[in-house]
Amino acid sequence: MGKIIGKVIATEKNPSTIDEFYFWTNPKLIINPFDVIKVDHVNNSVSYGIIEEISHITDTANFLTDYISNDFGQVDAVENTYRIGMNYVKAKIIGNTVNIYIPLLNNEKVKLASAQEISAALGLANMKNPVLCGYLEMYNGSDEEDRITLPVNMDSRFLIGPEGAHLNISGISGLAAKTSYSMFLLKSIQDKCLNKEIESDDDIAFVLFNVKGKDLLAIDEANGFDSEEEKQETYKLYDMLGMSKKPFQNVKYYYPFSGKDVLNTYLDKQSLEDQQKLKKALLYKYEYEDDKDNLDLMFASLDDPTQSMDSIINYIISGQGSFGGLTNWDDFLDEVNKRCKAGAQGDKEITVASWRKFYRIIKKSIYRNPIFGTMHDNNNEIRINDALKKIKKNEVHVIDIAKLNEDMQGFVFGDAVRTIYDLQLGQYNSDDENYTPPSKIVIFIDELNKYASTDAPKSSPILRQILDIAERGRSLGIILFSAEQFKSAIHNRVTGNCSTHAYGRTNAIEIAKKDYSFIPPVYKTMMTRLKQGEYIIQNPVFRSLLNIKFPKPVYKQFK
Amino acid sequence: MEKIAQETKGKSFRTFKYSFDGIGVPSFDYDDHKDITWEQIGESVTQKKAVDLTEEAKQIAQIQPLFSYFLDGSRRVFKVDDIAYKNQVFPVVAGQIGIGCCSRIDKNMRQLKFNRRLAIALPKIASQDDWNTKQFFNSLLKKVNTDEGLRKRSIEFTDILPYSYKKDEDEKLENKAIAVIQDLMIEKEKEMVAYLASQNLLSQDKYLLKDGSLEYRVIDMKNARELRSFKNNYRWVVGASKSFNPENCKDHTGKNNSNLIADLKSFHRTPVSMYSSPRIGNMKFAVWYVRIRNKKHTNNAFDGILKLEKILVLDDEIENGIDTEEVNLITANIINERNPVCYGADFRWANHLYPVYVTETYVKSQYISNTLFLNLF
Repeated sequence: MGKIIGKVIATEKNPSTIDEFYFWTNPKLIINPFDVIKVDHVNNSVSYGIIEEISHITDTANFLTDYISNDFGQVDAVENTYRIGMNYVKAKIIGNTVNIYIPLLNNEKVKLASAQEISAALGLANMKNPVLCGYLEMYNGSDEEDRITLPVNMDSRFLIGPEGAHLNISGISGLAAKTSYSMFLLKSIQDKCLNKEIESDDDIAFVLFNVKGKDLLAIDEANGFDSEEEKQETYKLYDMLGMSKKPFQNVKYYYPFSGKDVLNTYLDKQSLEDQQKLKKALLYKYEYEDDKDNLDLMFASLDDPTQSMDSIINYIISGQGSFGGLTNWDDFLDEVNKRCKAGAQGDKEITVASWRKFYRIIKKSIYRNPIFGTMHDNNNEIRINDALKKIKKNEVHVIDIAKLNEDMQGFVFGDAVRTIYDLQLGQYNSDDENYTPPSKIVIFIDELNKYASTDAPKSSPILRQILDIAERGRSLGIILFSAEQFKSAIHNRVTGNCSTHAYGRTNAIEIAKKDYSFIPPVYKTMMTRLKQGEYIIQNPVFRSLLNIKFPKPVYKQFK
Repeated sequence: MEKIAQETKGKSFRTFKYSFDGIGVPSFDYDDHKDITWEQIGESVTQKKAVDLTEEAKQIAQIQPLFSYFLDGSRRVFKVDDIAYKNQVFPVVAGQIGIGCCSRIDKNMRQLKFNRRLAIALPKIASQDDWNTKQFFNSLLKKVNTDEGLRKRSIEFTDILPYSYKKDEDEKLENKAIAVIQDLMIEKEKEMVAYLASQNLLSQDKYLLKDGSLEYRVIDMKNARELRSFKNNYRWVVGASKSFNPENCKDHTGKNNSNLIADLKSFHRTPVSMYSSPRIGNMKFAVWYVRIRNKKHTNNAFDGILKLEKILVLDDEIENGIDTEEVNLITANIINERNPVCYGADFRWANHLYPVYVTETYVKSQYISNTLFLNLF
């Protein structure tokens, strides 16, 4: 039946409309924004609403009245009668059982809904191709028996294609737990794939970038947890959600190649060696002959209005001058250096000044950088391009770029994304005839603002690559899971193409931006105080924004 | 209206309908009445001057307040038509009466009982049977209530009242009609008090606070027994009037003491006077005034002053006046009712007591809307 908590009010100033209605409740009843309530409607139908705002009023006419009510400002004045007061709640209509959307009638009883009703109301029931994206907690303030916990599934076709693709997660560092949430989603997808619950022709591989510390460098190891209690609590949630408690599987790690003494990663030497022994860690390098084509990626953050850098890169890639015969980076730098000298020979179109600028930039990245070197015949080294060309379904590839400088991070990211893009376009002829690339590759990148911010140069090859993926990835099977602090800083062609948005805790300046204008004011302020592990998500299959939670990760956490 | 005209063989004019409450500047309508005889000092300990109750009010602020029930009656009267009998035009007046009683439990107001009456006042001449006026109007009422429109809205008139008139009288006929409706309201107020008393809800620590004066006409009371039971109902009832006629403020010697009242200091009360009135039979009343708001915050000399009344019930009281301690206790409790105020919502805020205000608001909220009511005719 549902507990009755109030009645609909429709007044001249605040009428019930097709979209929303108001109801009153006892001022001491605890309900929260995002709670779903139900109201009987005409033709024996039931309408569902989601709470947007709660206000408390009394019959105090104005501020002065209350001042006078305290004996003209005596703070210790006591009243003999409490003022008449009530709470009124603004709720948004999210559905009706028989699709009747005329406004709700005055004085109808407002009730709490059951778990089944809530899931039907929010569009969560009978979800096809379900992928778990968290769980809802409702009526948190009510009595124990009224509370409801409900797993929330998304239709995978709307998360990873073909109907809708790409996920964007925003939220401030630390408090929002962006990485944890994306890992939770990825794990949920991998769980489904391993259990073959997703359509048979859907095989998915994952490419993740580790951008800070050791966050993603042990995702196939179990979480130690601080206490047994925490572990049991977390496992209980995973059981409730029907997810496996195992960490990620089939994981490979790629670290930037480094000298013996100083590692180019935040992972400690011992762990790295252990991973290498288990054959799940490799060191990546860039070879001149194969990787010179990607030199443009080094100039991603540079404005190049005269396109002089562009023409130099073209000059080199096409092997003009003596660039065709070079075999290593050292020679390459020498060759470029030669062009920087006054009166040097070469293409008349390119000025010496431009060559000098080019030299300056690439020298900064390449000179004495161990990543740029020749591959040696041992099993520890690999080119990112080679690794990703052979990516298989259910594999997780983690590329560590945390310790690289910003330009190099862009270079590695750009190279990987370009490889995946070309792979899905069918540009590569595999040595192995039986190899078919996975139908979908999910890329996860944190700090997207570095590569696709609103003020990135238009000519940036990385931005172009990301835009390509955002706009065409859905049909090619390249799915971008991206995260950043402030969504408003991201190029709107990227965010505009994301079918799913997750909003973690953010700050007041951010929610004042235009990007958030469609969100009701109360939800906006809620965004500024969301707890860790709480998200507001938006997806076309949900009838409303949802406030969801997700459990702590089951993979190893570095403190 | 047609039905009434037809049954009473009068001629309806379908004149403009309007409410008596909203037109013109409200004339001074004091809650109390005239013709009062001031008799003597009305309390057991003779007070020469105003009594300061600031300390007592502070002391009892921590304990359960004395007043647990609040009663308010109100009416809304409309002129709904003119009707002609024997070439004379009479107004037809209709009114809604609401009597509401609220209780206070743990500082929260709850509704206890509500009584709504819908009444029509017709001139006595409308009756077709001079000797059985009552029966005639009763059967008329039944006929009126068979109306389809009323049934559809599930509205039922409860009373049709005759108002009498004399030729060559100065008073307007409208006022006579309003008076019978007013009398009905008072009658129903009395019934409400009787109900509370019969349910044993009132006691020495659960007083009823009634809005307005307690001076009822007791014309209907035929015998002493009825009068006694009426008086007993009022053992634990205090009437508080927001407005009163300063001309009627007299001390026990009969001299006007409105100056003394206007000069009352905050939280002071006047000595109690006792009086009786021919209109109220041989009942005796104790009356005193209290100032509940500081004079500097009010814009009128009598703002913030309440007139309190209590019917004297016990023989001892009638003989020697009301017990001073009881007066002080009641007054201190009234002083403590000063907060919260309805400032901003009601211009009489300085004289209003919040629980009474809430009761009044509750009663008003139960009315049928004016438009709907007028269109019943």
